[in-house]
Amino acid sequence: MTNTPPHDADTAPEGPPEPGGGGTARLRPPLRRVSGRAIGVWTLRILFGGVLTLLLFSALAWAASSLGWAWIPAWARDNAWLLPVVYAVYVLLKVAVVPSWRYRVHRWEVSGDVIYTRAGWISRSWQLVPVNRIQTVDHTQGWLERVFDVATLEVQTASYAGSSTIEGLDTDEARRLSEELAVRAGTLRDDAT
Amino acid sequence: MGGHEDRTSGPEPDDAGEHGGWVAPGGGPVPSGPHPAAEDGPEEPAPVGARAPEGAGGRPDAPRDWWGGEEPGGARFLGAEPARQLSPRSMVVGPINQLRGLLLPIAAGLVLGGFNAWVLAATGATVVTLLVGGFVTWRTTRYEVAGDRLEIRRGLLRRSQRTIPLERVRGVDVTSTLLHRMLGVAVVRIEAAAGSAGASEDGKLDAVAAEEADRLRRVLLHRRAVLTGHAADTAGETTPGAEEVARGRAAEHDGGPRDPGDDTVTHFAMPRSWYLYGALNLGYLLTPFAVLATLFGMVQQTAGDLAADYFVDWLTNSDGRFLLVAAAVFAGVLVLLMPVFAVVSYALTHWGFTLQERDGSLVAERGLLTRRSVTLEKRRVRGYELLDSPLERVRGAVRLRAIVTGLGDTANRAVLLPIGRRTVVDAVVDRALGVYRGGLDRHPRAALYRRLTRSVGPFAVALVVFLIADVAWLAWVSGALAVLGIPLGADRYRSLGHGYDGERVSVRSGSLRRGQAMVERSAVIGWAWRQTLFQRSSSLADLQVTVGAGSGGYTAQDASLADSVAFAARVTPEMVRPFLVDSGATGTDGTEGHGNRGTRGPGHD
Repeated sequence: MTNTPPHDADTAPEGPPEPGGGGTARLRPPLRRVSGRAIGVWTLRILFGGVLTLLLFSALAWAASSLGWAWIPAWARDNAWLLPVVYAVYVLLKVAVVPSWRYRVHRWEVSGDVIYTRAGWISRSWQLVPVNRIQTVDHTQGWLERVFDVATLEVQTASYAGSSTIEGLDTDEARRLSEELAVRAGTLRDDAT
Repeated sequence: MGGHEDRTSGPEPDDAGEHGGWVAPGGGPVPSGPHPAAEDGPEEPAPVGARAPEGAGGRPDAPRDWWGGEEPGGARFLGAEPARQLSPRSMVVGPINQLRGLLLPIAAGLVLGGFNAWVLAATGATVVTLLVGGFVTWRTTRYEVAGDRLEIRRGLLRRSQRTIPLERVRGVDVTSTLLHRMLGVAVVRIEAAAGSAGASEDGKLDAVAAEEADRLRRVLLHRRAVLTGHAADTAGETTPGAEEVARGRAAEHDGGPRDPGDDTVTHFAMPRSWYLYGALNLGYLLTPFAVLATLFGMVQQTAGDLAADYFVDWLTNSDGRFLLVAAAVFAGVLVLLMPVFAVVSYALTHWGFTLQERDGSLVAERGLLTRRSVTLEKRRVRGYELLDSPLERVRGAVRLRAIVTGLGDTANRAVLLPIGRRTVVDAVVDRALGVYRGGLDRHPRAALYRRLTRSVGPFAVALVVFLIADVAWLAWVSGALAVLGIPLGADRYRSLGHGYDGERVSVRSGSLRRGQAMVERSAVIGWAWRQTLFQRSSSLADLQVTVGAGSGGYTAQDASLADSVAFAARVTPEMVRPFLVDSGATGTDGTEGHGNRGTRGPGHD
């Protein structure tokens, strides 16, 4: 688990940190973390998805072992129960690792009129979006997010290539941020393309 | 059958007023379904394109004052120039275009109906209706450039008026099919940015006289340039705005085209030899096969079983060796013909390609049978792309495409030049847009291994699997593909690169379809890095340059993360600098990305 980032990275890290080199060019991590409650959202999301798939796999395994279809080889019939078991272990591992890992990676920051976000877990992405290029700021909240009182902020620019999202922000903070960004974008706005 | 019934009853004014009853010339036949107009609608949502031929035709008893008194009064009132009508010849073009779509149903009706009187009468009525419709459309459609806007009015019962503010005009496309050209008319399509982002509303004039189309384009673009001129790049000219407006007005009052010499710059005119480059394009190379397939399809449809029987007969009765020779000769001829066909079909679509500039817009014009001219506002051009295939690279040829904001159908409309020699293309780009002068930084060696893994890996795995499964021929195939993957991967690596020349950012990738995008610095609206687990182990990342134009983002694959961050910071320091690690702290590991590979993982934060 050498890839696990340290917990206490709220300040610029020491050591060989964020990717980069060439002397002057390494990105530091964004300063702000998302809400800790986002872990709950991610956990439940994995769990729900996992349980559904698990049910499907169990049904498959049951069908394979008890319906006695001739075209399924004997070894597969006998070991069909392994499929849901292995998957369950995988889901449990994921639940144990991914949400807290995500929480350590997901960060954001707005400074110098640029939105800087980092997201992902084993694969990561860093994104820079200048505020004056913002076209829309969406503030959305799924039902699961509502349960945990967090929200997702989506910032769209003129590019077709996608938007920048910050998942798992505290609801009030997300609302405040979206308003601030909208106002700021309005004052800074140039052609926005 | 149903076709005409609906045709004759179809001319409901509502129907026709809402939807474009006319199909763009060359834009395919009118659907023969029950509601041709309605089906046509989605292609042209804007009611501007709507004409009301049938609608008007059905009610000849409509108020006459509409087409009588409008012209002088309206024009005076709006002040700039008299409202104009479409070319009288559009009365012929429209019905012919519509008839072309109806030809099949009519023929079927005639044949199936056994040429009985009713069917004949219905056919006659349809033709008459179309002609009357064409006449009414011509009489009722008016357009004028009034002050700072273009107005298009049409419709007899259900009148519609569309107003397009000139500063929102994004481009003016002039298209003329063979039929149009025979009659000396052209279709003018005015593309305008709508209020909401991304949407656009078009105005269409089908059809005006060719000279009038040209004049209209000049006037529109010139006015637009004057109106927006101070914000646009063209503002550098010394002429004060007011004077220029006056000049423009005066010119328009004359009615004739403005002096073409004053500001039109021809950047490019197609040299004869460039048509040969068509032979390098795979799409055009495959035309003989497409033609052949179409021929087969036609034979199959018309003669059906008869031809098939005959063919089978011929096959069984002929000598086997003769057949073999015939097939070989046929294939050989086809292969030999490929380049010829390619050049011919390429020449048809690219005949007389010119790239001109006037009033802050680039005008690309081409085509032999269907002549098409596309106007792009230079202000919206954010950069350009150079595309080539290995075949084209051998001859040093490239395709040029502009990166434009809010442009649909880029495959056709963003094409600024035909396939041509790299040096010439660069020179033209330099004159028209400004060329990228920098070089490209190579990506680290690790990128090569990743490219090779990607291009060879899947086939190598397949090879092993098939060897185990003992399927010899599949193993051979995957083995061959794996070997072919080596040069492919190496070439992909060779084409990777990114660079910056102080004005433009450039990113290149791909092999079979290599693309190099050059984007103005000011058009960069963000950066995004992505790093997968595998990339992290070799400290590579994909850097995406986000652009509000073209495809929206151009990616430097497998760049060194360190280099790419430095690169982004060099291009847009104000955007990236605040998030860089303090240079004091970085002094300790001032090596490139490879240096700290071992400690990379934990160090990410």
